[in-house]
Amino acid sequence: MEKRGRRSFLVFSKNWATAFIGGIISLAAGIPLIGFAISPAFKKAESKWVDLGLADRLKNSRFKKVDYTFTAKDGWVQATKKRSVYVTDVGNGEWSVFSRTCSHLGCLVRWDENQESFLCPCHGAIFDKTGAVVAGPPPEPLQKLETKVEAGILYVKET
Amino acid sequence: MRQFLNERLPLEAFSAHLRKPLPKHINLLFSLGSLAMFLLILQAVTGAFLAFYYSPSPEHAHNAVTYISTEVPFGAFVRGLHHWGASAMVIVVVLHLLRVVLYSSYKAPRELTWIFGVLLLLVVLGFGFTGYLLPWDEKAYWATVVGVEIASTAPGLGDFVAKVMRGGTEIGAVTLSRFYALHTIWLPWLAFGLVGVHLFFVRYYGSSGKPENTPEEMKTGKPFYPDQVFEDVVGMLILFVALAAVALFVPVPLEDVADPTNADYDPRPEWYFLFLFQLLKYFQGPFEILGTFVIPTVGMLLLLFLPFLDRSERAVLWKRPIALTVTSVCVVGIVVLTILGGTSKKLETTEAAIQETTQPTEQVQGAATPDTDAETVDEGEAVFDFQLTEEEIEGAVEVEEGQQ
Repeated sequence: MEKRGRRSFLVFSKNWATAFIGGIISLAAGIPLIGFAISPAFKKAESKWVDLGLADRLKNSRFKKVDYTFTAKDGWVQATKKRSVYVTDVGNGEWSVFSRTCSHLGCLVRWDENQESFLCPCHGAIFDKTGAVVAGPPPEPLQKLETKVEAGILYVKET
Repeated sequence: MRQFLNERLPLEAFSAHLRKPLPKHINLLFSLGSLAMFLLILQAVTGAFLAFYYSPSPEHAHNAVTYISTEVPFGAFVRGLHHWGASAMVIVVVLHLLRVVLYSSYKAPRELTWIFGVLLLLVVLGFGFTGYLLPWDEKAYWATVVGVEIASTAPGLGDFVAKVMRGGTEIGAVTLSRFYALHTIWLPWLAFGLVGVHLFFVRYYGSSGKPENTPEEMKTGKPFYPDQVFEDVVGMLILFVALAAVALFVPVPLEDVADPTNADYDPRPEWYFLFLFQLLKYFQGPFEILGTFVIPTVGMLLLLFLPFLDRSERAVLWKRPIALTVTSVCVVGIVVLTILGGTSKKLETTEAAIQETTQPTEQVQGAATPDTDAETVDEGEAVFDFQLTEEEIEGAVEVEEGQQ
């Protein structure tokens, strides 16, 4: 009877010890592995000023579509990134530069001159010329990029 | 919950199967199979994570591996686990094989368990061979060049096999891509399939135990679960701690990016292929095929069909003189060849000597300047095995003049 009791205690201990060691190995391997996989999510995006061209050439009371490229580090690659924005000068040296990326699910919006609105082709979102949501599902206005003019050249801040 | 599962799955039968007693006198050597399984899983998991950052193209592979090692958090550790884990895998698999030979566990009725085990050994070596091209550094490139050339010496289909391996006539983007596919898709599927069959046979026939076990002792040892499982898990913990320590403190080598024109580089394979590398040096000229094809192939076939060749009574190795002699010769031979291969002197060449090696070819093509600069070069004479003598150069000049 006593022998059986000791045996069942041994079985119980070994079960728990096995589970404990398995847990230790899983954690010791799992934490670095998960950290390794999800680390890009914690990486701060680098911001940089990107040259859009001569401010005089871009001066326009209407929104003008500007496509541009810039280089940025993408993992182990120095990649050429392409971007598209709508640019207009609002007077007094102020500029409005909107990202074309819809704040809903990332489709590219188009400026409609007749409606004076940005229209999203995906889910019917409409933004006014200040980027505010007029209709549709977007939770936020269009992203307005920071600008500066130096030596007659218009720069936007890429993040 | 337990009742719900019991009504739907044969859990009781499975549990009873796991608790079946093992033979008596099972020792730590019987955990080697479980350790190999553990390493296979560790390699699969770390490899799957490394794939998040790897790109199998000559333009990106080396940079991606550098990025993993230097910029990704835990990257050096994960790569270290994978790299040193591969070496540990080879060691553990070979020790497992030697344990089976030592206790003659490959004999009837376990021939199929053995055959699938040897196939797994080949898959492990295949993982090694396809894996070390992936960093696309000098070692990766040149070791693969030599490895594929070895395959090309196989009679009949050798050249075809080499072209299939390379995906063309030279090592490049297609080679890297297919080695990556083999390493991460084809071989893992094959390995887990073979492990499944191997494990089925292990459980079906039960542990072989020691040869001296009586029929009674074969059924009265400790239960597989939880006793043996616990010992296996302790072994896994020790192995993992050792591997993690090596991964933390020994940086994984990464040489310069592969350069097909780098004549300065002395190709050396991974340590577990060094015996083959050294063996090749002893077979020259028409006997080359002995080292590249005949001996490795015959060796592997003998290993594969060992249970059908060794039909002696089951007994511990030292009571089987022929098996003991053959095993000892093989083990000592492989260890000695590995040491010789690892310590063999690399070719010492000077910049002048390397330039000089190209001279004779130019002279034959130009056939006009018999006074070579070779006389001014004192070092690296061994390089000039093919150096043309003045008579030969004059002969070449005469032939060319005759053609004109």
